[in-house]
This record gives sequence, structure tokens and C-alpha cells, in this order.
Amino acid sequence: MRVLSIDVIRFEKVSKTYPGTGKPALDQVSIDIEKGEFVFLVGQSGSGKSTALRLVLRETRSTGGRVHVAGKDLNRLAGWKVPRLRRQIGTVFQDFRLLPNKTVSENVAFALQVIGRPRSEVKKVVPQTLELVGLDGKGERMPDELSGGEQQRVAIARAFVNRPMILIADEPTGNLDPTTSVGIMKLLERINRTGTTVLMATHDSGVVDQMRKRVVELDHGRVVRDESQGVYDGISG
Amino acid sequence: MRVGYVFSELGQGLRRNVSMHIAVVLTLFVSLTLLGLGVLIKQQSDIAVRYLGDQLQVTVYLCRDGDSNPACTSAVTDEQRQRVEQTISQNPEVSSVRYESQEEAFAKVKELYGADQFDGPNPPMTATDMPQSYWITLKDPQQFEGVTSAVVGLDGVSQVRDLRDTLAPLYGWLDALKYGAWGVALFLVIAALLLVANTIRLAAFARRKEIAIMRLVGASTLYIALPFLLESLVTAVVGVALAGGTLGAFMWFGVHERIASSVSFMPWIGVSDYTTSLLVIGVLGPVLTLLPTLLLTRKYLKV
Repeated sequence: MRVLSIDVIRFEKVSKTYPGTGKPALDQVSIDIEKGEFVFLVGQSGSGKSTALRLVLRETRSTGGRVHVAGKDLNRLAGWKVPRLRRQIGTVFQDFRLLPNKTVSENVAFALQVIGRPRSEVKKVVPQTLELVGLDGKGERMPDELSGGEQQRVAIARAFVNRPMILIADEPTGNLDPTTSVGIMKLLERINRTGTTVLMATHDSGVVDQMRKRVVELDHGRVVRDESQGVYDGISG
Repeated sequence: MRVGYVFSELGQGLRRNVSMHIAVVLTLFVSLTLLGLGVLIKQQSDIAVRYLGDQLQVTVYLCRDGDSNPACTSAVTDEQRQRVEQTISQNPEVSSVRYESQEEAFAKVKELYGADQFDGPNPPMTATDMPQSYWITLKDPQQFEGVTSAVVGLDGVSQVRDLRDTLAPLYGWLDALKYGAWGVALFLVIAALLLVANTIRLAAFARRKEIAIMRLVGASTLYIALPFLLESLVTAVVGVALAGGTLGAFMWFGVHERIASSVSFMPWIGVSDYTTSLLVIGVLGPVLTLLPTLLLTRKYLKV
């Protein structure tokens, strides 16, 4: 099974040293993530989680090793092909990053408009996606009229509206209370069940323990733990 | 590509940054007008050189009764005149020479000022007030010193005149105007470039959230930069249109209606020269705004 499946994200001894810093942010990191997996990336601040996510998005390049995403070697990917790569990746952040002057629908539609999708598709897909994330009927609201959890749902809708192969979530529950976080995690799980690979960086031990998914722990830029159905607590041990 | 989206972004961008855009348009307007003016002046001075250069002649005026030149003791004698004519025609630099009598000179003056001025019993001047003269066309208009020095000391010669002396100040003025216009334009062009750069910086900052999301969801660099490029193009087009209109007004009211109709002894710049200046500013205007925009969007909006 493992031989036949395709890795959507694959780090081969990846190192990343930022210019002007002696210590590498990532040091010989190897991770394989298969299609449809749900993976938690845990570790303390500065452990290299954000760098790993930035490498997947090709916001930066590795200084050693190889990063493969969606079958492409990102170190060899030409700059003009980066937008095409990113259309296969949805991204969600701790701070939602919604456009405050656009309605919920417009925020979601924006992601399709700027990659040149036809109006008819936008009209059809946006309400569907809002319904999927549990926001049907709230399309005309402005972001600041919504609760934090609802805003994060809008952000998830925007990340998922293009049906990406990969969903990257950087501390998506970091600004939410535990109850709301549960709802968001259920939503991410539902998206995962559609076949979308989910890679989520988090500090939130509650959600990790509850979900019982694969956990990859980074410490000082190295992978110190990689277990399926793991828990957050492994960090101290 | 969604055209509607791009244009709505363009409209928003223009409105959001309206004061900066006006500053850019005004600077462009004035600098392009001066540039175009410089082009027109250059065209005019080329025309003048071409036209007057053909006609550059050395004129030798002979003494007449009551000549202001103290060397002329009396009107030129036939013998003196023949001597002068011989000297001129034997000079190897002379291409041709034409004699103009007092009557012919007087006829020219009458033509210039209107014959009715000289009618009546007591006219301001008569043919005898005019000097006889030789009009010399040179083989090479640049080589006039030889002829001039050969003739200048001869008896009966009152004055030797080269048109170049008359025209030199005119050319000087035209050159000064041209370089003056271009010099001022250069400063304004630099100001325009910096203004465009600042406008882009502000616009990119105002739209930083949108731009960050566009990058994230995979919008192409061109798509992200397009509203900026279009904004720059719009300001350029408005600037060029204003400058073109001003130059057109200058051509019509200044050159066509005034100078050309009152000073008709030489040809003046016309429609084709105006087109040339339009072409120059029409290319330079967009280049001036698009160049910094392209450079800065590469810097600020790189995916």
C-alpha cells in the first residue's frame, strides 16, 4: 500500500538556513506525507514548523535536500510556475486574514476570481463551499460581524473553494476557545475525508490528543518524533 | 482573465490614490509639454537652417550719394563698379553673381512696405537712396571669408554683408530655447519618475492584504501587477493627452495663426512636425510611468 501511494509532500533531508543566521531552521528533515493524510506538525516556537510550511508553499527555498510537493521538485520549479503550485494548496492562518471590506461571499469568491475562474463557476461553487463550512445564509455578512470561529470558517472556505490537493493550516485554532476549536477541527476532518491532505502546525495539545492523527514533532529543526495516531504529550518525553 | 475584475480594481486604485495620480498627471503634463516644445523648436531651427542655408548669399553694397560710410567719397563710378565685378567673378569660390540696380532694390522695398507708401509728391525715399549691389552665391556657403576679404577694401564698396551674421543670433535663441525646454523637462521627468514610484509604493501598501491573499491562492504575477500597470498607463495617457492638446493649441494659435501668417518670408513648422512631437511624447509618457511601475511591482509584488 505504501509503495503504491503517491507522496503529496515529501521532504528529503531538507535543511534551511536563513541568511545571517548560523543555526539552521531545519536540519536534515525527512517527512513523507501521502495523499489523504492528516498530519499534525508540533513543536515549540522556533522549532521549524513555520519554515516547513513556507517551504511547502515555496515562499522560500531549502538550502539543502529536496522538497517535493504535488509531484514537483520545488527547488527546480521556475518562479512563474509557483502560482500554479499554490492553486493546489489551500492555506489557513491563526489570524484568518480576511479582507475586511468584502463580504463573506466576496472573500471566498476572491480566491477564484484572482486565478481567473469564470463567473458562472464562482456563482455555483461559492455557496456550495459556504454551506460545507456551515455558513450558509451568512454570505452577505461582513467579516467583523462574525465570531472568531465563523471567521475561521470563512478562511477555510476560501482555502478550500478551489478544491486543493493540500490544505495547510498554521495554528488555525490559536485564536479560538476550546469549544469553537472542536468545531473547526471537525470541519478540517470533513475536508480531509474528501481526499484533501491536511498539514496542520499547532501548539494546541487539546485538539491533537482528541484527533489521534499522525503527529510529526520538530525540535530545533529536527524531526524528533513521527507517529501515527500520536498525542501532543510526546513533546516532553 | 476576468476583465471586469481588473477594471473594477483599476477604478478603485485610481480613486483611492487620486491626489497622487493628479500629481503624476500634472508633472507629466508639464514635462511632456516642454519636451514636445523642445522637439518643435528643434524642427523649426532645422527648417530655418535648411531654408536659409540655401539662400546664404554675400551681398556687396556699393557706395551711393550721401553714403553713411566715410570711405565712400561719392557714388560709385562705373570704373570702380567694373573693378568690383571683375574681382568677384574671378574669385574661385563664387558660384554666381547677380547685379542689382538701384531701381530693382527700390522695387523690392516697395514690395515689402507697400507701393502706396512711396506715391505722392514727397515720398520718404526714392530709387537714388538705394545702393547698387552684387548678390553673390557661393560654391560652399561656409567659405565666405575669401570673397569678403577680397572685396571689402575696394574703392566704391560701402558694405559687405553676410546673412549668417544676421541669422546667428536667431539660431542662438532657438538653440537656447530648445535646450532650456529640454533641461527643465529633464528635471520634471525625474520628478515624474519619483512620483510614480511613490504612487506605486502607496498603492501596494494600501492593497497589501489583497496582494498577500492573491499570492497565497496562486494569482499570477501579471494578474497582481496588472491593476498597477493599468493605473500607470491611465495617468500616462491623460498626461500625454493634456500635453498633446497644449502643443496643438500652441501650434494653432501661436504658430499657424500668428507667426506663420505675419512672418511669411520663411517656412514654419506644420502638421508633420506636430505629429513628430506627439509621437515623441506619446512614447515617452507611457515609458516614464510604466518603467518605474514594472521595476517596483517586481520588487513589491513578487510572488
